[in-house]
Amino acid sequence: MALSATDNVHRLGRVASWLATVAVTLLGLVALTFFIGRVIPIDPVLSIVGEKATQEAYDKVYFALGLDKPIWEQFTTYTLKLLQGDFGTSFTTTRPVLSDLLTFFPATLELATIGLFIGIVLGVPAGVASAYWHDKWPDHLIRIIGLIGYSVPIFWLGLVGLYVFYFKLDWVSGPGQIDVFYVGIVKPITNSILIDSALRGEWEVFWNAVSHITLPAALIGYFSLAYISRMTRSLMLDQLTQEYVLTARLKGANEFEVVLGHALRNAAIPLVTIIALSYGGLLEGSVLIETVFGWPGIGSYIASSLFRGDINAVLGGTFLVGAIFVFLNQLSDVLYATLDPRTR
Amino acid sequence: MRLTKTLATALLGMTMLTGVSFAATPADTLVIADAIDDVITLDPGEVGEVGGIMAAKQIYQPLVTFDVKDPTQIFGVLAKSWEVSEDGTVFTFTMNPDAKFASGNPVTAFDVEYSLRRVVAMASRSAFLLTQFEISSDNVEERIKAIDESTFVFTIGQPYAESFVLYALSSYVGGIVDSVLVKEHEVDGDWGNAWLKQGNSAGSGPFELTRWEPKQSILLSANPNFWQETPGVERVFFQHVPESAAQRLLLEKGDIDIANKLGPDDHASISANADVKTLDGSSGVIYYMGLNVRNEALSNPDFVKAMKYLVDYDGIAQTIGQGTIDVHQTLVPAGFLGASDYTPYSLDIEKAKELIAASGVSTPVTLDAVVWNVPPYTDFAQAVQATMAQVGVNLNLLVVDGQQWLERYRAADLDVWVGLWGPDYPDPHSNAKAFAVNAEDAPDGSQSLADRFGWDAGDLSPRAMAALRENDTEARRTMYEEIQVEHTDTSPFLYMFQEVRRVAIRSNVEGLVLGLTLSDDRYWNVTKD
Repeated sequence: MALSATDNVHRLGRVASWLATVAVTLLGLVALTFFIGRVIPIDPVLSIVGEKATQEAYDKVYFALGLDKPIWEQFTTYTLKLLQGDFGTSFTTTRPVLSDLLTFFPATLELATIGLFIGIVLGVPAGVASAYWHDKWPDHLIRIIGLIGYSVPIFWLGLVGLYVFYFKLDWVSGPGQIDVFYVGIVKPITNSILIDSALRGEWEVFWNAVSHITLPAALIGYFSLAYISRMTRSLMLDQLTQEYVLTARLKGANEFEVVLGHALRNAAIPLVTIIALSYGGLLEGSVLIETVFGWPGIGSYIASSLFRGDINAVLGGTFLVGAIFVFLNQLSDVLYATLDPRTR
Repeated sequence: MRLTKTLATALLGMTMLTGVSFAATPADTLVIADAIDDVITLDPGEVGEVGGIMAAKQIYQPLVTFDVKDPTQIFGVLAKSWEVSEDGTVFTFTMNPDAKFASGNPVTAFDVEYSLRRVVAMASRSAFLLTQFEISSDNVEERIKAIDESTFVFTIGQPYAESFVLYALSSYVGGIVDSVLVKEHEVDGDWGNAWLKQGNSAGSGPFELTRWEPKQSILLSANPNFWQETPGVERVFFQHVPESAAQRLLLEKGDIDIANKLGPDDHASISANADVKTLDGSSGVIYYMGLNVRNEALSNPDFVKAMKYLVDYDGIAQTIGQGTIDVHQTLVPAGFLGASDYTPYSLDIEKAKELIAASGVSTPVTLDAVVWNVPPYTDFAQAVQATMAQVGVNLNLLVVDGQQWLERYRAADLDVWVGLWGPDYPDPHSNAKAFAVNAEDAPDGSQSLADRFGWDAGDLSPRAMAALRENDTEARRTMYEEIQVEHTDTSPFLYMFQEVRRVAIRSNVEGLVLGLTLSDDRYWNVTKD
């Protein structure tokens, strides 16, 4: 009895210390973003009133934004509101930041998730193949494909992709999330067009949305394929030279068993963290891809808000991205435990 | 081998994903691609951004408007007629009894009173269009007044040219809202701003707001109660497509009807496509360099004049502009009353050298030039930098983001500003006030561009104000022509180009009227066959 009580106390302590770490991380993030937002040379008042406004119009907005108060007071007010779940209002969209995030984030989530899926499904096998046929032609081929994905600007790839697959071949739809034809047909549930149209049974809209997301998702997929295959390759190379692999081979295990059953099993542990963090990176949104494809994602939301000095929007967006990283980090720890019996 | 095969199959599968795509926009919907992430409000009492004005102009109607082809032709919209008092300060408008709002309510003089008073009360960025007539919250009840349902009286502080007052009223802040409807949605004395700003509209124009998704799209639908000729399309859809090349592909493919933001290169590449045509309009936008006379070298008139000979105007217009700009060297844009084709300057290194020698300024001189980090500004700046360097005038280009670019100019924290000026209404005063009138001569004492660059316009300032008060159109035209010649030669403003607003549209789109100022495009006569 006594033993299990101590156990519980330990477990509680672990949870508490984890929660404290998360809280400090997020608070630090908010503080940093807030103060950076205040020192960057962008005047939010000017971006609201424009350069022709009178001093009266300028002052009115200046006071309405609370910029006359000391910066510490502004920060405390913001943080206290944040703790109550109030992210404030974005002046560039006129809406509460929270509802903005709920509108823009699903678009990025769709893109990043499909992109990452493509990246894993193709990137891991490619990396394994590359390591297995180390320095032979499949390795060279995969590395060249990866290198292109890595080094060619995604902006340019996006435009070329549009030109070839949309304009010339007509395989996919063009920029935007959906054809004008279908705008407003599906009543939002999750704000993700793919999910909502499927839930509502609007299959025509669903397939249209699929044909719009295919190209940008494939490009993001290509980009993450390049990264994942490269990391898989080097992790696998490491494993394949280990003695246990040799032992397995000597014992007569077939190659399939050796490569996938032993080496990949071990390489998978660090790979999980790499994939989780790269998912986090994708969920920040790719401003370039979003710009080329007119995609209403979180990346261009944060960027365009930043250029207008819309600090509430930037803070809300940064907070969300930070929270995602914390969550993914935790998730990869859990997956670690499942994959590696020693950490259980 | 198995792995290679799997990989190949997967890659093949990826490229085989095909979708359904429609090659045309819906016949009853006009689809416009534009960069609309600048829009922060659709309330006509406070709009100021290009995209916001563009949308609000389709929803709200002013008392009067003008013919884009001949802006001197001013005619009534919500007002049937108007009279001006002997002394030129009292404008009495008789309302058009046929006019009604989308709600079905009639448009009365009380709606006008409410709409214009709320502009003054809300004191937004655009309120200056009314407050420049010496209207403030103290006197607004006498100066903006409805006598009865059909009579509205607008009183200004001192007499100005009639057309100038009417142009100001024809601008976006002159859009009249349905006071009955808006009053129902007032919260804490906000004049219904929170309600009108985002999801709702209360106008009498050809379209009403259906939905605005900030940074994504604006959807307008035909007003079912529209009291004038029914618009040619049921819906107008503004889609946020910031990238020029993407707009071009959408247009050529027929997925949009109008591409508002095509760069010169994309215009060149669509010229061969028979499904697409281009429409040229004027934006009234003038590209210029403002020289801060607080800098010692720039306070020297000869040196300033030398700089005007150090720009390769024709070369830049041809190679960089490619038809999107015309050389223009005076303050009034072409198409406006009093516009002049006075273009005394061209690239002349020798002449510039003589002037610099005469000025006594010793070269090399280094000047901080603040440049917005987007084309065409960066291209202009680099071209000018190259020619100026030939005589030892070194431009130190500070290429910055748009907000910073505005702030440096507001704070006069620069030597040279590579900038633009877009008029708010098609009257020469919109520009004359900016470039030639000092604060002490302006009725509202506001800072002008001349003040920002530290320049005393001398007698040009009172002369520009006199031109503003002149009611004889011909005499007024002559006054502006004279002011411009002197201004171009003596001011620290180095006028370079006027923008040619080029819009690419599908060939089946007819009846699009491009505005005379930015964002005054009129979509209600557009038809698609």
